[in-house]
Amino acid sequence: MRKKRTAYLLLLPLMGMTALALLACGSVLTQSLGVVPAFGLTEPTLDYYREALADPAFFSALGVSLRVALLSALAAAVLGTALCAALVRVGPGPMGLLIRLPILVPHAVTALFAILLLSQTGLLARWAWALGVISEPGEFPQLLFTPGYGGTILAYLWKEIPFVAYFTLALMAGVSCTLGEAAENLGASPLRAFLTVTLPLSLPAISQAFLIIFLFAFGGYELPLLLGATLPKALPVYAHLAYMHPDLRQRPAAMALYGLILLLSAAMATLYGLLTRHLLRRVEGGQ
Amino acid sequence: MRKALFLRLFLGLAAFCILLPAALLVLWSAAARWSWPNLLPESWSGRTARELLFGAQSIWPLLGSSAALGGLAAALATLIGLLTARAAALYDFPGKPLVRFAGLLPLLIPGTVFAVGIHLALLRLGLADTLAGVLLVHVMTALPYSIAILTDVTAALGGGLEEQAAVLGAGPVRGFFAVSLPELTPGILSSMSMAFILSYSQYFTTLIVGGGRVRTLALALVPYIQGGDRSLASVYALAFTGSALGVFALFETLIHRWQKRGDRP
Repeated sequence: MRKKRTAYLLLLPLMGMTALALLACGSVLTQSLGVVPAFGLTEPTLDYYREALADPAFFSALGVSLRVALLSALAAAVLGTALCAALVRVGPGPMGLLIRLPILVPHAVTALFAILLLSQTGLLARWAWALGVISEPGEFPQLLFTPGYGGTILAYLWKEIPFVAYFTLALMAGVSCTLGEAAENLGASPLRAFLTVTLPLSLPAISQAFLIIFLFAFGGYELPLLLGATLPKALPVYAHLAYMHPDLRQRPAAMALYGLILLLSAAMATLYGLLTRHLLRRVEGGQ
Repeated sequence: MRKALFLRLFLGLAAFCILLPAALLVLWSAAARWSWPNLLPESWSGRTARELLFGAQSIWPLLGSSAALGGLAAALATLIGLLTARAAALYDFPGKPLVRFAGLLPLLIPGTVFAVGIHLALLRLGLADTLAGVLLVHVMTALPYSIAILTDVTAALGGGLEEQAAVLGAGPVRGFFAVSLPELTPGILSSMSMAFILSYSQYFTTLIVGGGRVRTLALALVPYIQGGDRSLASVYALAFTGSALGVFALFETLIHRWQKRGDRP
């Protein structure tokens, strides 16, 4: 066996980075408890969390973020799986390359796409006019800058559907060309082979992709900033507003909001991990 | 057969949805006037292109700083990724499961919390609001992807070839550079490409950790999108996305060439 000491030496840079990441979380949590020695605050308190949780604006922001994250991640998981299945069935070809494009396009540019396409004077509204469906811009449904966050969700979908497909492609292609084809050779229809063999065995990748995009959308800043309503704001936009408060003594209040985003994300990820581990085990056990 | 047709139509629709906004970006960049309810611009102009290339807010300095930052971040993330991958793929040691967790950590922390927290941590180290601080946070953001890619290729290659080289008398350094490195090159290139694109697209981390002192293309783009000039916003977005895709295509070509080179006897 190779020497352990060499392995630890190789890991030194990662350890440094990890220490810094942990220090980052620790600093946010410390300040959120009201401990900022630079401002003479040394007594830990939960007051800032209490204040944050007493403000109805927090809950409307939380509602926005949960809604955007859940709707976009659910729809992206379903449609992304369908896209992946179609790619596996037909063969990736040029489309296998094309689905990488939305993954590479940054969120700010995706926001611009949504503005050019979905606004009331955007391309879709113009098409609706040309088809005689509407006669003026105001008749086109307002998707951008509204409390429903429809434009934000659609913009996330544009990026996340291809992401789910790309993330699942390797596993699903592998399963399909071995066990899926075996099922078909034994007489299952392609649809039945997909639903009873390929899909259940691809679930680990799909469920991981769901968690990644859900957490990303929950903590995402750019899209709700650029496409969302003035009120209610998404949670990360709401937190950033508090962070930018000119009175630095308000910092712990902002840090409590970031602390809540961190703790909620961790709690949801843990819960999801426990749930899916149980479900996936049952699916695998049933095969 | 009918089913395949249905699937092809579905894929065609998906391709259309992916490409439509990109085409729209090109049209808006070159449009002088495009008023409601016309389906195409009424007139074209090079105003935005001139603004982009020669204007007061021309793209060159931003392009230079973003590309330099992205290149450095890509090199560092890949180097650290390679070291981590070697340890994770070729060695056994107590605490090994923690390496996987440590590698994923920056992905598990919500991006906004990560940026604000790193800024606080760097304040203590005196690196906040500096280029070095921004570089560090970009490397951290890219690291999970670099580690994942490089651990895969390192594990696939294994340590056997280097052991053979050692038996034949090569030292460990020569063994790595002469035997493993050529095999790892495609993985190294995809790690660099991924890390570059990630660094190039960072907005919130650069905004917070750079404290407004570090200017990048991604940072400059957002005010244009918030402003009302759709043509100007489009031309900057086009330059931004185009240059990122250009770098991506360059790396893909390099990977392809390298693999073909390896196929020759």
